[in-house]
Amino acid sequence: MTELLQNLINGLAIGSVYAIFALGYTLVFSILGIINFAHGAVFTLGAYFTYTLVVGQFENNGLIKGINLFPAGSPFHGSAWAFAAAALIGAVLSGVVAVIIERLAFRPMRSRGADPLLALVSSLGVALVIVNLIQILVGAESYSFPGDIYGDLKPALIMHVGGKLIVVRSVQVIIFAVSMVLLLILGYITQRTRVGKALRAVAENPGTASLLGISVNRFIVITFFLSGFLGGLAGTLVSTAFSVAGPYFGVAFGLKGLAVIVLGGLGSIPGAVVGGLVIGLAEAFVPAEYSAYKDAVAFALLFVILLIRPQGLLGRVQIQKV
Amino acid sequence: MDFLQTYGFLIVTMLQQGLLGLSLYFPLMAGQLSLASPGFYAMGGYIAAIVLTNPSFAPWREALGGWIFPVTWLLSGLASAVLGVVVGVPALRLRGIYLALATIAFVQILQVLSLNLSVTGGAIGLFGIPQAFGFVDRWQYIWIFLPAVVVVLLFAHKLQGSRVGRAFRAIREDELAADAMGIPPTRYKVLAFVIGAVIAGVVGAMSAPFLNTWNARQGTFDASIAFLAYTLIGGSRSMWGPLLGGALLASLPELLRGLADWRLVINGLVLVVASLYLPQGIVGALSRLRRKTPPQRPTPQHQAALGETP
Repeated sequence: MTELLQNLINGLAIGSVYAIFALGYTLVFSILGIINFAHGAVFTLGAYFTYTLVVGQFENNGLIKGINLFPAGSPFHGSAWAFAAAALIGAVLSGVVAVIIERLAFRPMRSRGADPLLALVSSLGVALVIVNLIQILVGAESYSFPGDIYGDLKPALIMHVGGKLIVVRSVQVIIFAVSMVLLLILGYITQRTRVGKALRAVAENPGTASLLGISVNRFIVITFFLSGFLGGLAGTLVSTAFSVAGPYFGVAFGLKGLAVIVLGGLGSIPGAVVGGLVIGLAEAFVPAEYSAYKDAVAFALLFVILLIRPQGLLGRVQIQKV
Repeated sequence: MDFLQTYGFLIVTMLQQGLLGLSLYFPLMAGQLSLASPGFYAMGGYIAAIVLTNPSFAPWREALGGWIFPVTWLLSGLASAVLGVVVGVPALRLRGIYLALATIAFVQILQVLSLNLSVTGGAIGLFGIPQAFGFVDRWQYIWIFLPAVVVVLLFAHKLQGSRVGRAFRAIREDELAADAMGIPPTRYKVLAFVIGAVIAGVVGAMSAPFLNTWNARQGTFDASIAFLAYTLIGGSRSMWGPLLGGALLASLPELLRGLADWRLVINGLVLVVASLYLPQGIVGALSRLRRKTPPQRPTPQHQAALGETP
């Protein structure tokens, strides 16, 4: 029972990050019908942006090692609010990077009417560029956020239930809460505002949307910004729970994100949330003796769901017309 | 001889990567984007590495001598064909990006397995794989890989003119219409997938002795995208495209060696620029130059992308 509860808590925390990360994929897919492989790199970048703002120093390797960008006494040192501000700025910067990626790697392709599959290659090219630039600038080491980023919050809540311990890390609660708030905001934007209405129109049919006076390119830019923002914030959240695990750590995460969106249904926003939580929980419930196989769980689920329900848990069936 | 000493390894690698690019070409002939090749490549390599190093196969090695190497190719090819049918029959009901994602999942699952099984050496992998046919220099592998390239190209050429090749093309152009004309799409799609799987598996078995060591890094997502890049940047509509793309992109890190750390950054930029400016691939661009056909009207790509059904 306690074990079940503990797994549930761990699963929901990681699953909620999977969800906001995967939303970035799904937003772009719903508008452009392509998968942006650079999303994992933007995730990494978000973590590095926040780390730079909070700590401002990379020690061992790379071109900017040992430079103290934000010395003690600068605005991002100390309090939990400063960290929150840094995380927000990091996410905005990630959003800006995503917009630049769209401008340089996707828009030219769109205007030429190239094969959408080429977007897989060019976005992966972008990911290669970003990941290796990070490595050149700050090296391949992993960095951990200082322990006091959440102010004087206790690191964990330990409960005794039926003689056993349940550990709820504060980070897990924060991750879950932030993710849920973001999901609500995003749901509000897409379902209740004019911008959201326009976004849905573009996703439904860009040609008709543009005939109705919606500037398609502008909404594609907005989509990429939202996608980068969510990806970058997910990167920060995950790295506070674990560490900024080197330039490549977004790549593995990016692949899991693919499993999440397919499980939920490609292009479906609630689907990404459900998919993220399901995969987070499924991983948390892998027994300890099989933990080496944990990374295969998401892909096994992906494979199975494609075979039995290719449109995903919440996706719409698309009818092929002749 | 000096030339071969210096560039032999690179030339063999170019041929090897060209072959792996070709392993994607066959499914694409039938319009199927499969990224499963690294999985079969890794499995083929593991089979060869196990047969060549595991003590329980020592009697085989003694009995067969140099023949053990072709036997490993055969075993890997057979295993890839069987696994190809097992995976292909359910997976090929999917189309477009869905099939690509399913095959990525397949590669990931195989990678996690190979990292955890003891017979594959876990995270360390298998090493000390003997050199094929007692080769003393790496460039000598050209005697394996060059004939393999020729065989695959001849096979592709023959296939294109055959009944099966025409069925592949019909399915690529319009699966429903092909079905209506009495071409069973599933059977031909699985056949195209299995051909690609067998090529990747056999290349894996040939590569294990060449690389001397084999581990889980051989079959990764990065490899999936690398092979896709070979095919798309070389040109996916001609058998020369994947070969050329594989050879060129495999030599790129060597050409950029002087740039040291910036090498991979430039490599990424090349992928971006090539996909932007060579949408038909190098071979496509070359043949368009020769024919001087007027440029095609851009297709509404968005609709094409959304037109895929799972």
